[in-house]
Amino acid sequence: MLIFLLRRLFQACVVLTVISILSFVIQDSLGDPVRQMVGQSISPVEIEKIREEQGLNDTKFEQYTRYASNVLQGDFGHSYFYKEPALDVILKKLPATFELAFSAIVIIILVSVPCGIYAAIRPKNILAKFLMFSSTIGLSVPIFIVGIFLLYTFSIELQWTPSFGRGDTVLVLGIWETGFLTLDGLSHLILPSLSLAIALLPMFVRLIRSEMLEVLHSEYVKYAWAKGLSPARIYFVHALKNTMLPIITIGGIQVGTLVAYTILTETIFQWPGMGSLFLDAVNRVDSPLISAYLMVVGAIFVISNTLVDLIYGYINPTVRLASHGL
Amino acid sequence: MKVVARFIHLIGLFFCSANFAATLHMATDADPASLDPHEHLSQGTLQLSHLTFDPLLRWTQENTFEPRLATSWKSIDPLTTRFDLREDVYFHSGNPFSADDVIYTMQRLKSSVEFRALFDNIDRVEKLSDYRIDIITHKPTPLLLNLMAYLFPMDKAFYQGRDDIVKFGNSFASRNLSGTGPYIITNREPGTRIEFVRNANYWDTISKGNVDRIEFSTIKSDSTRLAALLSGDVDFIFPISPLDMPRVKRSPNIQLVTLPSTRILLLQLNQNRRTELKNTKVRQAINLAVNQEIIVKKILKGFGTAAAQLSADDFLGHLDSIRPQFELAKARQLMQEAGYEKGFKVSMMAPNNRYIHDEKIAQAITAMLAKINIKVDLKTLPKAQYFQEYDKRSADIMMLGWQSDTLDSNNLFEFIVACPDPITGYGVYNANGYCNPRLDSRIKSANRELNPEKRIRLLQQIESTIAQDAVVVPIAWEHLAWGAKENVNISSIVNSQGWPYLGDLVID
Amino acid sequence: MKYSVKEMSLPISKQRFKHIWNGFLSDKLAVLSLVIFIFYCVVALAAPLIAPFDPYDPQFMDLENSEIPPYWISGDDRFLLGTDAQGRDLLSTILYGTRLSLSIGLLAVIIQAGLGIFIGLTAGYAGGKLDNFFMRCADIQLSFSTMMIAIVFLAIFQTLFGSDYYQQLAMLMLILVIGLAEWPLFARTIRASVLAEKQKEYVDAARIMGIGPMRIMFKHILPNTMSPLLVIFTIQIANAIVAEAALSFLGLGMPVSEPSLGSLISIGFSYVFSGAWWICIIPSATLILLILVMNLLGDWLRDHLNPKIYKD
Repeated sequence: MLIFLLRRLFQACVVLTVISILSFVIQDSLGDPVRQMVGQSISPVEIEKIREEQGLNDTKFEQYTRYASNVLQGDFGHSYFYKEPALDVILKKLPATFELAFSAIVIIILVSVPCGIYAAIRPKNILAKFLMFSSTIGLSVPIFIVGIFLLYTFSIELQWTPSFGRGDTVLVLGIWETGFLTLDGLSHLILPSLSLAIALLPMFVRLIRSEMLEVLHSEYVKYAWAKGLSPARIYFVHALKNTMLPIITIGGIQVGTLVAYTILTETIFQWPGMGSLFLDAVNRVDSPLISAYLMVVGAIFVISNTLVDLIYGYINPTVRLASHGL
Repeated sequence: MKVVARFIHLIGLFFCSANFAATLHMATDADPASLDPHEHLSQGTLQLSHLTFDPLLRWTQENTFEPRLATSWKSIDPLTTRFDLREDVYFHSGNPFSADDVIYTMQRLKSSVEFRALFDNIDRVEKLSDYRIDIITHKPTPLLLNLMAYLFPMDKAFYQGRDDIVKFGNSFASRNLSGTGPYIITNREPGTRIEFVRNANYWDTISKGNVDRIEFSTIKSDSTRLAALLSGDVDFIFPISPLDMPRVKRSPNIQLVTLPSTRILLLQLNQNRRTELKNTKVRQAINLAVNQEIIVKKILKGFGTAAAQLSADDFLGHLDSIRPQFELAKARQLMQEAGYEKGFKVSMMAPNNRYIHDEKIAQAITAMLAKINIKVDLKTLPKAQYFQEYDKRSADIMMLGWQSDTLDSNNLFEFIVACPDPITGYGVYNANGYCNPRLDSRIKSANRELNPEKRIRLLQQIESTIAQDAVVVPIAWEHLAWGAKENVNISSIVNSQGWPYLGDLVID
Repeated sequence: MKYSVKEMSLPISKQRFKHIWNGFLSDKLAVLSLVIFIFYCVVALAAPLIAPFDPYDPQFMDLENSEIPPYWISGDDRFLLGTDAQGRDLLSTILYGTRLSLSIGLLAVIIQAGLGIFIGLTAGYAGGKLDNFFMRCADIQLSFSTMMIAIVFLAIFQTLFGSDYYQQLAMLMLILVIGLAEWPLFARTIRASVLAEKQKEYVDAARIMGIGPMRIMFKHILPNTMSPLLVIFTIQIANAIVAEAALSFLGLGMPVSEPSLGSLISIGFSYVFSGAWWICIIPSATLILLILVMNLLGDWLRDHLNPKIYKD
């Protein structure tokens, strides 16, 4: 266990170093941060002075080593736009993205599990066929089209839901701004979480169905039928439990996709989370913020993967954790 | 008697505003990067300044000046102008406003990297009494009043000693604010929203403005912003994409207000990069082949004004005689005369998220130039990358939009047409490679000329030389568009500079 | 020997193929999908021949003709599906766009498959440290979504080649990026199949006969993994096309002068509220239909080629 965690830690370091180098390399191609922050009438001499002050005229290598040594001390640099430590800015936006992703995951679980199981148990049923067909359609419609469609229908035409932002939030425990506790916050959550969920839902419905089908064809389920166990027990206790293993693995892998999709969803609904923060940072060439975001996302991925492996090991003790590490 | 009448008036005002006190939810595409009014010269900063500070004087919709913190002004001699200041004005902090604050603010402006250039010509401010000052310039300055519209007195006692202007950094002034303006910031989440409440002690009691809370949100995406207005989540948005205007017009409870702006969109033909473009006939041919009218009609959906010169309609240099011309046959003939009837290939760069429909306009122009056999290799970039390339003059044709900070023609000439000079800052945006010393000397004398008649003639001469030589390809002046609910009376408070006077906004 | 080598190495025997084909013909939805898909392919291939205009030639762009509604509304028979904001014939841009999208999808998946097959075979056959290393890499890459990787890669490409070349190389880069980003899916599938096949007697037999590992891998094991491969292949092309569309939506895809279906949609996006609905809706519908039929075909293949389910 300890060895497993240590290996994971090592792996995390490798991943984060690679990300830090990559994010550093791409900064140049994003544009000139100084040019973004000054007005039109400022003279080239003044611009040069600012560049010098910001250390942007040093060699790339110098800049990187300075950056890396700061990061090792926990300093990700100051965001140009927010004028605060980049990490603080991101952590402030984390609750918004987390709540969005969490709601989407809840919707995905609540919808995909029953739908997937039903489609597997009654594959020939009309409803099951309809479910599968609509999941195929869902898979075929890009998420940005879904988002705009929802916005247009429910906000503009029907005026049922708010169109942008998080609405009223409440500060919990002094650090976490939550929208879960107010009616307004919840109503703002509906469309963004729905469109985020719709992006991943079809995949999970199909996954659960196919895993379930496979399990239902396995020997031990046949044995269970032969033993005369009740269908409910077979489906929900024996089959479902074994279906969950691969789904947790793939679910863990999908965390990355979820994070990427939050960028699109947050942009469409002006959700003040990390995703829209990232896109804004790219537009403003706020390089410290961009690097910090990529590092945080990298860390989230390493943590979620480790968690998935731990859960996996917990559910299925035959998996030796250590053999999983690099 | 007079006192009683004033008292009744005040009481009436009090009841009016108490009865109709309203909250305004508004959304724009960008929020100010800092609370420091001198850190970044941008529309966002100036919008904020008009909300939380007051200028000495400000533009009206008719392009005249109206007194704000200065009550009157007069010229004493060519170098001196005297301003009388308003009494009984208090900053948000409670400190009283006086001449010292103006002197302090002027010093700070002159040390600001961004504003310094504008105020270069001002020598000093002399205090005659607590409410009277003389502003003394180095040289005669015809545009002094235009500059004073940028002077928003700051609270000296509040800022002094901790007033560093720090770009990209965390400074006292970038997080704290004390002005005399109609609104006080109560809450700010950068990049997301700012909340304001009305300044209870605001000096302008004549203003009918009845908005006592403003919730200012930032919504980047055009369609989301419009959706927020259409769904009723916000009352007032800016800007609106020309494409969405038909939709706004169709909506029953939404009003659309548009005003021509003075920002000119133009193409610069780099003569240093290409010998073909050195030929005046070729440049004239390009100007004739570009059909400004149809760009305005089809791409800007009529929300723009086709341009054939740099100075917008209200500018002194504007010449009614210069009209956009579109004559393909003549353009082809000129190309033939220049010896390029077979055409040539040029590279062109344009931003894709800076000006209204910049990318679409650039694309349309490639098609128009193809008609005179000029094959354009177009590349469009996000603004962050574009201006890096612009500074390097990376392509033969570059797109540029320019708003004159002083609302005067000469600002355009100085930056875009004058010969590049890194010391004076002239010609910083001259990507034409055009350098005409005679024009330069005229531009310089227009900066000194105090006689309005002579100055107009000078500016118009410069404008017509630029048009004759076809130095640049002017395209259009963009229009600004605001959308609001019916009961929000925005039409009287917006202006072509793009900073609405929200202090005077009335919501029914 | 009872079976010829050929018969052993061909998992889809003639008889089974016939069985599958008959099953296919009886499934109307699958047949319809295939017909539509073939139609798309033909149209994409023949785009330069059948398109009324060449959308890449600015000579055919005329603002006078911009935003003409489709024929059935405007009655303008020059432009069957109307024109876009630049006055380009929408039908032609969609034909060329489909061609681009399909080529990007196909080529990207070929790269994915090539890389994935090679790594999967090696990892599965060699096992041990090498296997562990490759699969760990696959894990890492899979958990960063394609889009993240693509955004980073495209930015790096831009730095390396400078934006001058970027627009000329945009298509190549998109293919490479999407191709490099999703190899793990192939690698994992192949590896799983290899691990399963490795246990089988025919591999042992081949090894005993002294056939080299390369030959065993490519000639004997690979053909046996064809059916899951085919399934992934179809679905991955669909995914690659969607990925390209999403990148274009974020402004990282094909340049405006050479629009793919994705960039057409993202251009059309600003027209959602404008009333010129066809500029947005028609390309979107074209893309969605294409992805839908490919997914339906993939579904069908999965249901009928997957040996585990095929048993019943």
